[in-house]
Amino acid sequence: MLRYIFKRILIFIPTLIAITLLGFMISVNAPGDPVERMVVASQDGGETAAQAINQIEQKKIWRKKLGLDLPIFYFSLSPFSFPDTLYKIYDKNEREALGRLIHQYGNWKEIEEYYASLNNFYKEQAAFVLDTNEIRFVDRSAILETLNQIRFEALSLKSSYTPSVIDLKISNIEKLLSLFPFLSKLQITFSTSKANYNKIKYTSTVWKNYIPKIIFYGYKNQYHRWLFGDGGNYSKGLIHGDFGTSYITKQPVSDVIYSKIGWSLLFSMLSVILAYLISIPVGIKAAAKRGSRFDKTTSAIFFMLYSMPSFWLATLLLMTFANPDMLHLFPASGVKPAFGYPESASLFQKIKASIPYIILPLICFTYSSFGFLSRIMRGAMLEVLEQDYIRTAYAKGVPENTVIWKHALRNALLPIITVFANVFPAAIGGSIIIESIFTIPGIGSEAVYAIQNNNYPVIIAALTISGFLTLLGYLISDILYAIVDPRISYN
Amino acid sequence: METAVEMKITNDFSFKKQAWLQFRKNKLAFYSFRILLFLIGLALVSPFVATDQPLYCKYKGVNMFPAFSLSNNCEIKSEDGTIEMIQYDMEDWKHLAATTIIFAPIPYAPNKSDFENADYVSPAGKQLFLNKEGKSILIPFKFRHWLGTNKRGEDVFSGLINGTRVSLTIGILSMGIASILGILLGAMAGYFGDHKLQTSRGAFWTFILGIVLAYFYAFSVRSYAIVDSFGISTFSIFCELILSLLIFSIILYLFYRVGQLVGRISFLKKIVTIPVDSIISRLIEILMSMPLLILIISLSAIAKEKSMVNLMVIIGLTTWTGIARLTRAEFLRISKLEYIQAAQSMGFNEFRIIFKHALPNGLAPALTAIAFGVASAILIESSLSFLGIGVPPTTVTWGSLLNSGWQQFSAWWLVFFPGMAIFITVTVYNMLGEGVRDALDPRLKK
Repeated sequence: MLRYIFKRILIFIPTLIAITLLGFMISVNAPGDPVERMVVASQDGGETAAQAINQIEQKKIWRKKLGLDLPIFYFSLSPFSFPDTLYKIYDKNEREALGRLIHQYGNWKEIEEYYASLNNFYKEQAAFVLDTNEIRFVDRSAILETLNQIRFEALSLKSSYTPSVIDLKISNIEKLLSLFPFLSKLQITFSTSKANYNKIKYTSTVWKNYIPKIIFYGYKNQYHRWLFGDGGNYSKGLIHGDFGTSYITKQPVSDVIYSKIGWSLLFSMLSVILAYLISIPVGIKAAAKRGSRFDKTTSAIFFMLYSMPSFWLATLLLMTFANPDMLHLFPASGVKPAFGYPESASLFQKIKASIPYIILPLICFTYSSFGFLSRIMRGAMLEVLEQDYIRTAYAKGVPENTVIWKHALRNALLPIITVFANVFPAAIGGSIIIESIFTIPGIGSEAVYAIQNNNYPVIIAALTISGFLTLLGYLISDILYAIVDPRISYN
Repeated sequence: METAVEMKITNDFSFKKQAWLQFRKNKLAFYSFRILLFLIGLALVSPFVATDQPLYCKYKGVNMFPAFSLSNNCEIKSEDGTIEMIQYDMEDWKHLAATTIIFAPIPYAPNKSDFENADYVSPAGKQLFLNKEGKSILIPFKFRHWLGTNKRGEDVFSGLINGTRVSLTIGILSMGIASILGILLGAMAGYFGDHKLQTSRGAFWTFILGIVLAYFYAFSVRSYAIVDSFGISTFSIFCELILSLLIFSIILYLFYRVGQLVGRISFLKKIVTIPVDSIISRLIEILMSMPLLILIISLSAIAKEKSMVNLMVIIGLTTWTGIARLTRAEFLRISKLEYIQAAQSMGFNEFRIIFKHALPNGLAPALTAIAFGVASAILIESSLSFLGIGVPPTTVTWGSLLNSGWQQFSAWWLVFFPGMAIFITVTVYNMLGEGVRDALDPRLKK
C-alpha cells in the first residue's frame, strides 16, 4: 500500500507541471504588452524626441526585468524562413509586423536589412537638430509640425505589413521630406530603406515558409525562468512561491494572494462543515425510512436547490433579508463592519461582530452540496443496510438506532470521506460568483477584479493555486480511500 | 389471452423501444421532456415572437413582411414619383401611419430602448407611451411591457425569450463538442486499454512524425490566416478552422498509410504497445484538476474576440472530461463481453467494432452525463453573463438581466423572472437526465 501511495505521489508531479504549463501558455497569449503597463506614462504634455528615446530605454530595462527578452519555451517549431532570434525584438507590434512580412515574402535576410535601415532612419530623424542658419526664412512651427509627422509615419511604418499600407506610408514620408531643402540628409537615409523594401519584393522566397524546423533554445527561456527564477535577480521562480508582480499595484502577487486567501479558506471550511453536518443525518434518515414522506420531500427539496443558480439565490436572499425596504436582518456586503473592528476587540469579539456578515454568503456556498452529499450518503446507507450482517444484528434484537449509528454508519462513511477532499478545493472555483456578489475580500473576487483589469499575473497565480489545491485534494482522497478501506489492494 | 397490442410489443422489442417505454412511465421526466420541446420551439420561433418589426404591414398600398424578410429595407414609390425608403430595423413602427399593421406578440426587440419607459418600470406600474401628437399618454394594452423594463427601457419579456435562444444554443452546441470529444476519447481509452493497441515500431514513429508535420502545416503555417479570420465573421472562422482540420486529417492519414509500409522493413518491425488508457486518463486528470470557472474565464479573456461562439467552444473543450470518464468505464466493461470477442474473431476493423457494435450499448451513462452537462453549461453561461465576463457586452441573456436586477434590488421583476427561467430550464434538464438514467438502467425495469 505504501507503494501505491508512492506511485500516486509520483504521478502527482507531472500533472502539476502540466497545470503550470497550461497557466503559462495562457499568460503568454494574453493580449496587451506588460512592458507598456510598467512604464507608466509619466510624461504629460507633448512627447518630445528625447522623452521617446528615454521611454525606449525604460522599456528595455523592464523587458529584462520581466524576462521578456528570452524565447518562450525550450524549443519552438517554426517555418524555415523564420530566424532564431525574432524574440529579441522588443516591441510586440513590430515583432508581429516582421513575422507577417516573413510570411508574405519568406526572405529574412532582406527583411532584416530593411528593418535595420528603418531603425536607422528613425534614430536619425529623432536626433535631427535644427540648424538656425538654414531656417531663417521659414516658419518654425511648420517645420516642427513636419518633423512630428515624419516621426509618426516612420514609427507606424515599422509596425506595418500590408503592402498597400507600406506603399502609402513610404510615399507620405517622401512627400514630407521633400517639403524642406534641409531635410535632404534624411532623404538619403530614407531612400536606402525604400530600396531595401523593393529588394524584399524582388527576392522573395515564399517556399521557405513550408519547410519546418525545430529551434532549441536551451535553459534560457521564459518558462524556465518562470518556474525556477533567474538566479534571484528579479524573480525567485514559482518553486519558491514567487508569482510575479501585479500590473496594477506593482506589488508581488504572492503578497496579494496570501493576504486574501484567509477569507476564502474560512468560507470553504465552514461551508464544508455545515454541508456535512446537515447532509449526513438527512441522508441516514432518508435511507432508514426509505420511500417515506421525509425521504421524498427531502429529495425533492434538495433537487430543486441543486438546480438553482447560486447568483439567483444570492440575489433573492439579499433582496429579502438585506433590503432596507423589506426585512433588514443582515448586512448586504463585506465581512466586517464598515468602520472596522473596534480597537480593543479580542478575537472572540471580532468573530461575533462578523457573524451577521458571514451567514448569507455561507448559505449560498453550501446549499448546492446538500443534494449531492445527502444522495451519496443515502445511496451508501441503502447498500449497507441490505447486507447480511445488518439483518443478523436486527435478528439478534439490537435496537434500530444502535444498528444504524453504530454498525451501518461506519461502513457507509467510506464514500463520504473520500468525497471530502474533492469538495474542499471546488469551493475556491465556485467562490468567484458569491465573493463578487457579497464583496468578500477573498481570492475569487480578487481574480474577477484582475480579469476585468487584464492583470494577468494574478489570474495565472489564482489558476495555479486552485489547480494545485485540487490536485492535492484528489491525492488526499485517493490515499484516504486506500487507508480507510481494508478491502482495497492496489497491486 | 394476448391482445393485438401485447403481441406487437413482444414481437417488436428492441432496447431503445423498451427504454422509451420506461421513460414514458416516469411522469416527471416525461413532463420535463415536453417542457423541453416547448422551450426548443420557443427558441426557434423567438425572432418572430419578440421583435419590434411587425409581422405584416400594409403601408401606402405596399404589403410588407418585415419580421420574415431577409432584406432590410423596402422602397415605396408614391404617385408623384417620390421614393420613400423604409429601413426595417430603424423604422419606428409603432408610430407609422399604416393601413393595417400586425405586430408580433411581444412588440419589442430585446436590446432596443424604450425611452418613455426607461429607468426600471415595474410590470404593474404606470407605463407611458408617446402618441402621434407627441403627448405622453397611458400605454395602450397591446404595447404594454408585461414584465417591466430595465434601466435603459429594454423590455424584460423579449429579453427572456431571446435569452431562451441564447442559452439553449450554448447548452446544446457546447455539449455537442464536449460529447464528441468525450465519447471518442473515452471509447478509445476503455476499448484499447493499456495493452491492446499494438503497431510496429516503424509505423508508430512515422505516425508521431506525421502528427508534428500535420500540426505544422495545418496550424503553424496558417496561423496568420486563422487569426485574421477572427476579425471578419463567424462564418470565416468556421471555414478556416475546418480547412485546417481537413489538412491535419489528410496529412495524418497519409503518414498512417506510409507508416504501414515502413513497418514492413525488417528492423522496424518490432511490436510496440501504446498505453492509450494511461495517456488519456492522465489527460482527463489534468483537465479535471483545473478549476473550471477560472479556466473558462481566463480562456475567454485571452480570446481575440468576445463572442458566443468562443464561449461555446471553450465550454465544450473544458467539460468533455466527465463524459470521457463515464464512457471509458463502460467500455472497460463492454470490451470483455463475448459479442465483442466474436466480432474480433470475424476480423472486423477495430474502429468498426467500436462504433458499430460497442458504442450503441455503451452510450447509456454518456447520455445521462450529456443531459446533466447541458444543465451545467447553461448555468456556466448565465454565471458568466451575470459577471459580465466573456460575453459581448450588448447581448441580452438571462444572466445579464439578472445583473441589472442585482444592481437595483427594488426591481424585483428583473430578479425573479430571469432567475425563474434559468431555474426551470436547469431543472428540466436535470430531471431529463434522471429520467434517462432510470430508463436506461435495466435493473430498474418496472
